[in-house]
Amino acid sequence: MAMITFRINRYNPDDERRGHYVQEYQLDVEKGTTLLDALNEIKWKQDGTLTFRRSCRSGICGSCAMTINGVNNLACETQVLGLGNSTVTVEPMRGYPVIKDLVVSLDPLVRGILAVKPYMITHSPPPSDQERLQSPEEREKIDGLYECILCGSCTSSCPSFWADKEYIGPHAFLKAYRFIADSRDEGSREHLEALDDRHGLWRCHTIFNCVEACPKDLNPTKAISELKKELVRRKLG
Amino acid sequence: MRYNETTRSGGALWWFFQRLSGLYLAIVLFTHVLVLHVLMKDELAYGSIADRVATPLWKTINISFLVVALMHGLYGLWIVLGDYIHRQWMRILIWCAIAVIGLVFTIYGALTMILFQYGG
Ligand code: HEM
Ligand code: SF4
Ligand code: FES
Repeated sequence: MAMITFRINRYNPDDERRGHYVQEYQLDVEKGTTLLDALNEIKWKQDGTLTFRRSCRSGICGSCAMTINGVNNLACETQVLGLGNSTVTVEPMRGYPVIKDLVVSLDPLVRGILAVKPYMITHSPPPSDQERLQSPEEREKIDGLYECILCGSCTSSCPSFWADKEYIGPHAFLKAYRFIADSRDEGSREHLEALDDRHGLWRCHTIFNCVEACPKDLNPTKAISELKKELVRRKLG
Repeated sequence: MRYNETTRSGGALWWFFQRLSGLYLAIVLFTHVLVLHVLMKDELAYGSIADRVATPLWKTINISFLVVALMHGLYGLWIVLGDYIHRQWMRILIWCAIAVIGLVFTIYGALTMILFQYGG
């Protein structure tokens, strides 16, 4: 057990005059408590107005991404005592418009992801048994790509996104490459179409923040490099 | 939907150029240091440098260096500015300014080197 101080960035759209402010809560935390557990505890027992998104509480849905001690992570996968501080600072993810407290608008995330047509595109009819098969080797090629839970941590941490709110974003590039690298997908051209844009791939300066931010240890920068090479190959040949 | 072909950036070839020119600049920079500061036997004086700079080979190397460095540097500047400038008329204005600067310095530098003569 340890007494932890939570410094939480708060914002209430119905109280514009107060604007953004920091509120502190104290909580006795035991081993195994995740930040999401702690936030629930505070909301249920101390302050019912504290607002945050969560759903699966097991690192699958991507709802609970927030900035924890300055680093984007999932609240439900963050051990409070594992942070090693007696004070934990919690902010809404940077770069997105704040709706209330820790809840941000994910409109930029959605706009970017829709631009790359994030679904399997096929032009040939399915084989007679209705199933498009994939060898284990082909399946391996989408490892490190399909695991994305669209939490938005990567794009929130990207300076190119801070400078250009219409930037498609690393989350969407990773998703585009997930389908381009999939042997069953026949729509590479359609996925790539939106990327050669002023707000697209060329705004990426290989800063690697997205790699550091991803709670699933994925590598959007690598996917972006593959996409850039693919676009150049198509242009030249 | 905002992202479509009407805002095509032409970024792919420029991206490739920036890498190729970076490689070229690294090679020329290395050659420059090697020739001037390592292999050079004569005294580092106007005469010994001018002799070499007046030869057709070095004129070619220096003009290509000039053109590639200007394009790389100015396009790099455009990349950086492009991150922050979103108003269309500003983008056109700055693109034109960069193009004019590039053209003026290319002509000025190339003329200087082409017309340069020294000794015999
Ligand atoms: C050793 C020689 C050089 C190499 C290998 C090199 C390489 C590169 C590369 C690969 C990029 C692309 C970065 C990106 O896409 O994000 C770049 C960008 C840039 N370069 Fe160079 N370069 C060299 C010399 C120079 C010189 C001499 C100048 C100045 C005149 C310069 C100015 C720039 C600028 C302003 C950018 C844009 C910065 C950015 O994209 O973030 N570079 N360089
Ligand atoms: S790549 Fe990682 S950080 Fe980005 S949205 Fe997907 S899971 Fe989140
Ligand atoms: S609540 Fe679903 S990822 Fe944290």
